[in-house]
Amino acid sequence: MKVSRRNQIFWIVGAILIIAYAVIPVLWIVSLSFKEGDDITNKSFLPTVWSWENYRTVFASDLFTTALRNSVGMALIATTISVILATLAAYAISRLDFPGKRLVLGVALAITVFPVIAIATPLFNLWRTIGLYDTWLGLIIPYLSYSLPLAVYVLAAFFREIPWEMEQAAQVDGATAWQAFRRVIVPLATPGVFTAAILTFFAVWNDFVFGITLTSSEAARPVPAALAFFQGASQFSQPTAPIAAAAVVVTIPVVILVLLFQRKIVAGLTNGAVKG
Amino acid sequence: MHMRRSAAALLLVASGLAGCGGGDGGSNSLTYYIADAAQEDVATRCATESGGAYAFNIQRLPNTAAGGREQLLRRLAAEDRSMDIVSVDPPFMAEFANAGFLRPFTNAERQEFSDGILAGPLEQSTFRDTLYSAPLYGNTQLLWYRKSVLQKAGVDPAAGPVTWDQLIEGATKAGVTVAAQGRRNESLMVWVNALIASAGGSILAEGSENLPSDQVKGGIDTEAGAEAARIMHDLAVSPAAPAGFSTAGEEDSRAAFQEADGGFMVNWPYVWAAMDSAIEEGSLPANFKDDVGWTTYPRVAAGTEAASPSGGLGLSISSFSRKQELAVEATRCLASAQSQKEFMLTAGNPAALGAVFDDPEVREKFPMAEEIRTGLDAATPRPVSPYYGDVTGVIQTAFHPPDALSPDTTPRAANSLLEDVLRNKRLI
Amino acid sequence: MSTTIPAAPPQKVAEAGKTTRFRLTDRARKERNLGWMLAGPAFFVMVAVTGYPILNALWLSMFDYRLTDPAGRDFIGLGNYLTILTDGLFWRQFGVTSLITVVTVSVELVLGFGLAMVMHRALYLRTALRTAILVPYGIITVVSAYAWAYAFSNTYGFVNGIFGLGEFDWFGGTWSALAAVCVAEIWKTTPFMSLLLLAGLAQIPDDYLEAAKVDGATAWQRVKRVILPNMKAAIMVALLFRTLDAFRVFDTVFIMTAGSQNTETLSFLAYRQTISRVMVGLGSAVSVILAILVVLIAVMFVKVFKTDLSQQRGDRK
Repeated sequence: MKVSRRNQIFWIVGAILIIAYAVIPVLWIVSLSFKEGDDITNKSFLPTVWSWENYRTVFASDLFTTALRNSVGMALIATTISVILATLAAYAISRLDFPGKRLVLGVALAITVFPVIAIATPLFNLWRTIGLYDTWLGLIIPYLSYSLPLAVYVLAAFFREIPWEMEQAAQVDGATAWQAFRRVIVPLATPGVFTAAILTFFAVWNDFVFGITLTSSEAARPVPAALAFFQGASQFSQPTAPIAAAAVVVTIPVVILVLLFQRKIVAGLTNGAVKG
Repeated sequence: MHMRRSAAALLLVASGLAGCGGGDGGSNSLTYYIADAAQEDVATRCATESGGAYAFNIQRLPNTAAGGREQLLRRLAAEDRSMDIVSVDPPFMAEFANAGFLRPFTNAERQEFSDGILAGPLEQSTFRDTLYSAPLYGNTQLLWYRKSVLQKAGVDPAAGPVTWDQLIEGATKAGVTVAAQGRRNESLMVWVNALIASAGGSILAEGSENLPSDQVKGGIDTEAGAEAARIMHDLAVSPAAPAGFSTAGEEDSRAAFQEADGGFMVNWPYVWAAMDSAIEEGSLPANFKDDVGWTTYPRVAAGTEAASPSGGLGLSISSFSRKQELAVEATRCLASAQSQKEFMLTAGNPAALGAVFDDPEVREKFPMAEEIRTGLDAATPRPVSPYYGDVTGVIQTAFHPPDALSPDTTPRAANSLLEDVLRNKRLI
Repeated sequence: MSTTIPAAPPQKVAEAGKTTRFRLTDRARKERNLGWMLAGPAFFVMVAVTGYPILNALWLSMFDYRLTDPAGRDFIGLGNYLTILTDGLFWRQFGVTSLITVVTVSVELVLGFGLAMVMHRALYLRTALRTAILVPYGIITVVSAYAWAYAFSNTYGFVNGIFGLGEFDWFGGTWSALAAVCVAEIWKTTPFMSLLLLAGLAQIPDDYLEAAKVDGATAWQRVKRVILPNMKAAIMVALLFRTLDAFRVFDTVFIMTAGSQNTETLSFLAYRQTISRVMVGLGSAVSVILAILVVLIAVMFVKVFKTDLSQQRGDRK
């Protein structure tokens, strides 16, 4: 495709505008997190003095560090479980012929449309009876309700793009379906699995509703829910700047994943339709 | 085979994870839910003084009153046995007590914990003639003013109690603001309750405390309710309303008061300590406090004494705690006169014990100690009701935004909403 | 859970005599078993973690049940539904939710299309562009809500400063508060929309566009006659996904306005009844209604607009 120079300038300006659109709000919260004292209410984009004060505050409090540990731990476990189960399921859906495979996809779709808030209440009731309330497991299980369908979806789409001739070749060589799966398909599928893991991690990392309804102590409270527990100088003041600092900290993993795996994430979201 | 083994491994991990929930943390460790960071210092001292008789595992509550209530409610409804002492915002106590979540104090304990407690804090710690909370601090609002604006406003608190109408009129004349909490949260409820009570009314009809939800009657559709709606509306639409009136909480009110056009403000005494910090930080001139005066809460009608708001915090023992006796023992220290004094000096929240106000250190830090004590004795708690959550929800819906209120329609609408919601006929 | 692993043995016995067909059937049977062995765990977990709560919500929604008043638990059949559907508040919040949905999704469609075009066309800054666009997508919704709430705040924010609005209180009025909420939602979710659209855009063969160009079509005509018709499937899928999501908006509203100034949405209504008021029955009924509405939207897209979900699956036949 030939593109004129004038056209390219047009697209470059567009790209710069879009980058600004995407990062300015993030820079704002970063800037706010470096404000201290009077600067917090200076109503301008940048602080007059850059201060690490708020980061010291949030990291000095158990409240935040425990929540961060909970968030990371639970997100990783939920992601791992989802991706393992989804990989198996997605392989079966895209490769094998068995009755009910449409049902599996249908259920996955139906679950994704159900509002989380609707699941939270019954779970609260059940959890408090069986003792899962305010535990890691008590959050990981509901996380699976949306991370698993998402992973199944992304992976099923990926597996459709895999060159299956290689598997058939392996089978002709006398390998069973299971061996073919393990020796040929797994290596081919790894990039897709990886992408599914990132997208799933984002989804679980984002949780708020389950975090506020199914926890009540530091035992399992994730960061988004913990932000409401920060205290200001007095009981009536809003701890704006420390919240900003905590918000920045939990955004760092997102930015790192995005920087490292930009291409994979885009591919995952567009089902591999975009090459490059 | 593989599948089964991994499923078993998963289950193992799962049970391990479930186990790390309600950690008990030793036989003499008490789990203490605090609402204010300053409670932790007091707890540390108490634990040391106990000589190892008890220690604390401190857990925080969310930074808003409503958030704290929801958190405690869920935890207590889950019958969590690892929870021992909880900090309860007084209006929410009745709801918890009615549900059987709180351990009633025995008669002897009641004697002990209510001895010397001022009227406001004591009343809100009692439900159906039983004490459920040991008051840790009491709270009441005062009318704060800038001395320099009084003359221009033609308002003289020294000459006698001030009414809301005088404030609005005077502030408008002087081109200054009257800051109050118009934000739709518990602070709005505080204001509405104080206004209705000052006008001689009450949000719930007499005796509602003991009725099931479908028999509770509202007391808003009255002259008092109309007066409350009128004053809120008049202030909200007057030039004396600070910017962002319908979203202003306590801190926004303080900020408005500290502005160049600040004139009057109703607020809790913590503002005095907060102004100190602001001066230290340099965001307020060093002599700012010289211009600040205070007096009792404004009246609705000149001839009727004001019912100032009542707030505070009480310590309750969870019914599900396995260490209730130990928890009572610890509460003796946590809510002692010494602790209340420390709490007042560090957090700026007034003690519930009258005697603390005679302490020279307290007197020095709080020149308005006498007014606070008087206010606490005259303070009118928010309605005591097992359905308080719904009551405050309704008030916050019906009396917001303040500039849209009308004395002709708001009281009736609020009253019928209240009764309908309690009868499960309408939503909030 | 009516579908379990189908029993194979009877078939096997019947066909035992025919060697060739037996081998085939045996293979098919193995495949079927393997299929369920692989898909079964995921299926089971999905059904277990959501099936119970959904059924339980349906059951609870028929009770007048307050958590703090367990003794007063009464079966009232469809009473809660009646209360909700005859309450003006429900309909007002339905309106607010629909408004937020329509406004955000339509703005996102236009904006997302622009973004997709730039991403598709820009030869330079490609990596930077795609990386930047993924930040709002990946950021926690609550964090985005705080960022925007502080940005619009008249105490902390820079928005009023930039637009010279002085002390304007964005959260003091229904329309301005809703506008702030919509801005935050749009910012956070447009990238997702644009990536789905990008997928559609990438499917349009370049020669279609070239041909249109040769025919002398203007840029706008090319968009209207070639690009949009060829992207219809992608657009519908993007619209469906975002509509379902937008209709359930909760986090942003919760953080930014806490529901004041009539900005409450249906998810918020469910939250308030269940969590704040602990009216578990009423709250479950709101949740069920919300779920039904979401399903209706999905069905409407699939049936009325003929949205082909398999397109999303990369099944381009």
